[in-house]
Amino acid sequence: MRAVSALARRADRAPRADYLSLVTHLYRFNRRNAVSLAVVIAAAALLAGCGLSGETGGRALRGVKLAQAIPRPDFTLTDTHGQPFDFRAKTDDTVTLLFFGYLNCPDVCPVHMTNIATVMHGLPYDVTGHVRVVFITTDPARDTPEKLQAWLTNFDPSFIGLRGTPEQVKQIETAVKVAPAEPGQPDSSGAYEVGHAAQVIAFTRDDSAHIVYPFGTRQADWAHDLPLLVKVQ
Amino acid sequence: MTVQWWCSARGVPWRWSWQAYPGVWLMVLALAAAYARWTRPLADGEARDAATSAARRTGGWIAVVLVWASLDWPGGPLGAGYLASVHALQFLLLAMFAPPLLLRGLDSGRIHALFERNGLAARVISAVTQPLLAMLTFTVIMLATHAPGAVDVLMRTQAGAFLLDMAWLASGLVFWWPIVIDVPVRKHFGPPMRILYLFGGTQAHLYLSMWLLLAEFPAYGIYELSPRVTALSAMEDQQIAGGLLLLIGGTYVLAVISVLFFRWFAEPQAEG
Repeated sequence: MRAVSALARRADRAPRADYLSLVTHLYRFNRRNAVSLAVVIAAAALLAGCGLSGETGGRALRGVKLAQAIPRPDFTLTDTHGQPFDFRAKTDDTVTLLFFGYLNCPDVCPVHMTNIATVMHGLPYDVTGHVRVVFITTDPARDTPEKLQAWLTNFDPSFIGLRGTPEQVKQIETAVKVAPAEPGQPDSSGAYEVGHAAQVIAFTRDDSAHIVYPFGTRQADWAHDLPLLVKVQ
Repeated sequence: MTVQWWCSARGVPWRWSWQAYPGVWLMVLALAAAYARWTRPLADGEARDAATSAARRTGGWIAVVLVWASLDWPGGPLGAGYLASVHALQFLLLAMFAPPLLLRGLDSGRIHALFERNGLAARVISAVTQPLLAMLTFTVIMLATHAPGAVDVLMRTQAGAFLLDMAWLASGLVFWWPIVIDVPVRKHFGPPMRILYLFGGTQAHLYLSMWLLLAEFPAYGIYELSPRVTALSAMEDQQIAGGLLLLIGGTYVLAVISVLFFRWFAEPQAEG
C-alpha cells in the first residue's frame, strides 16, 4: 500500500473537497477501518464548512466540522526529553492541534507544520498562548527524540513531539477516529514511507474536537480559524 | 521515468532527475519552423541592411531558446508546481522578453507582403494589434492568468498549463506588435503614443508585483501546498516572484521606454 501522504498529495483543493477525497483514499488504503472512516465521511459530507457559529461569534470556521465531537483523549507518551507527557493534563484548557506524522514524510507533514508555524508566528500572544501543537510520530524507529526535537524546533520551538510504541500510537489513533498509520514496503535502500492520516485534529478548550483540518488547509484558513478556536469554551 | 507532454503541477516531491516533455519540444519545433520561414527573405524582396537583419534574426533565435528554456525541464515543472518565483520568470520570458525579440527578427518584406495581400491573416493581425485592444487584451490576460483561482485550477492539468503558457506568449506577441512592427501603418501611433501604450499596458504588471510582494499569505495553493524544493518558505518564494516582476520587468519596461523616448528625441535632429 502506498502512503496516505502520497495519496493526499492530490487533495490540495478546498478543505471540504480535500477532506472528502482524502477520506475516500483512506478508505481504500485500509479497509479494516471502514466503519470509522464511514462515520467520518458521513460527517464531512453532511457538515463540511459549517461553523461552531455560536461560540465563534457567528463566523464559520474553515475546517471540516465533525458530526460527532471527539473527546480529548487521555494518554501518556514520551516527549523529546524522555519525560512522560500526560496529554490530557498538559494540554488542558488549550486549543490543541494534534497531528500524526513522521519526519521523513515528503509532503503532508512539513507542509502542515510550516503553515501552522508560519501563521502562529504572526498571531498575537493572546491567541498563540492558548494553542499547543502536538506531533505524534508514526515512525518511532527512525524518529529519535533528538531528531524529532530538532525537526519540530525548525518550525517552532513550542511544538511538542511525542513518541510511543506503535501499539500505543494505534490506540490513540483509534480513540481520535483516524486511520492507523501503516509503514510501507522498504525500497532497495531500506527507505520506506509511512501511511498516516493527513488531518490535523483541533481540540478546543471544551476538551473536545469539533473540527479537523485536512491536507489542503491554507495559511489563510489557519489565520482565520485559530483566533476563533481559542474562543470556544 | 514519467513522460508528460506538458509541465503541470503534480504535487509529488521534486526530484532533480530529468524528465521528458514531448509537447514542449513539439511546440518549440513548430515555433522554430514558423520563425525560420518568416525570417527568410522573399525572393523578390527589397535589399536590406544585412548586418541589422542578422542581429535581429539572432535575437529572434535567442527568443526561441528562451521559450524552450522557460517551458522545458527543469524550469517548466518548477514553475508549474513548485516555485512561484520560477513561474514569474516564465511570465517575463514568455510575455515580455521573447515576443519583441521574435517580432524584431521577422522579415519586413514578408510582413509587408502579407499586409499588401490583405488576406484573412492580415486582417486578423490588424484587428487584434489595434493598440487599445492589444493593451486591454494583454492586461486582461495578465490579470486573469495570475488570479489565484485560475492558476490553482489551470496548473493542475497539462492542458490548463499549456493554455496558460500559450496565453502568455500569444498576448505578448499581440502587445508588442504595435511597438515593434510598423505595419499596419497607424498614423496616430507615433513614439509618444507608443511610450504611453507601453506604460499603460504594464500597469497591471506593477499592480501584480506589488500584490505578490505585500500579500499577507501565499496567494497560490499549488505553491503553498507543494513539497518544498528549497529552504525558502512559500511566502519568501512569493515575495521573490513579486520582486522579480517588479525589478526585472519594471527595469525592462523603463529601458524600452527610454529607448523609445531617445529615438523620438533624436528624430528631428536626423531630419535636420
